[in-house]
Amino acid sequence: MLAARAAAGDDSAFEAIVGRYQARVFRLACRLTSDSDASDVLQETFLQVYRHLPSFRGESQFRTWLYRIATNAALMHRRARARRPVEPLDDFLPRFDDRGAHTATPAELQVASRADELLDRRFLAGKAREAIARLPDLYREAFVLRDLEEMSTADVARALGLEPGTVRQRVHRARLMLRGFLGSLAGVKR
Amino acid sequence: MREIACAAGVERLMDYLEGVLPSHLHAALDEHVAGCPRCAAFVASYRETPRILREATAATLPADVEASLEAFLRARTRAFRAR
Repeated sequence: MLAARAAAGDDSAFEAIVGRYQARVFRLACRLTSDSDASDVLQETFLQVYRHLPSFRGESQFRTWLYRIATNAALMHRRARARRPVEPLDDFLPRFDDRGAHTATPAELQVASRADELLDRRFLAGKAREAIARLPDLYREAFVLRDLEEMSTADVARALGLEPGTVRQRVHRARLMLRGFLGSLAGVKR
Repeated sequence: MREIACAAGVERLMDYLEGVLPSHLHAALDEHVAGCPRCAAFVASYRETPRILREATAATLPADVEASLEAFLRARTRAFRAR
């Protein structure tokens, strides 16, 4: 096992770990911070991995352990930065009438699912980054790991030290906001 | 679940799609969505949202960032071992 060999001081095993996971950690870091900050998060993550490999017990999957370190590194990085307040996404939550029925039409409700067909790819990429950055930190971490990195809910719960139900709740809130955001990009009601 | 409004169904949507709702609620939500075009449309867009954002944010590792990481780790792990 690579992790065990690296923990025992085998540098080639550590290099193999870096080679195997660096692109994934970079992608995760971009999603949790920004392209300009992701390089720093990437470096900090693998330095932490190197230092803490001897304490990795193999009880969890290596990727889950690694993503926990990367997520914490990204969070520390965000907190260290004096960021301008971002506009929350609450306005993009779905809307209901007094009886609890959707106020938008089926066509309006469905258009978010075609955002990638309707919008220019580069425009959508920029807006997607912007929207994810506007999520509350707690929602962003859960959403990015669960839905963008495609980890299971159980693994996200282990990586973030949460109950699975809490992960589902946070991912759900993020999905609702982001779905509404995509719909609004195409110019329709929620 | 026609008697339960769309709003209540939306609140349970993640649990519904993950299969953790009690079976009677799951069946009731199935029934509601089947009879509610608005909810059917909402569920479709809710399900597609992760894919659209995943594809839109799929960054690749630039060669200069990879080279910087390698140089950084070489220096820092050497310093760490020298302690």
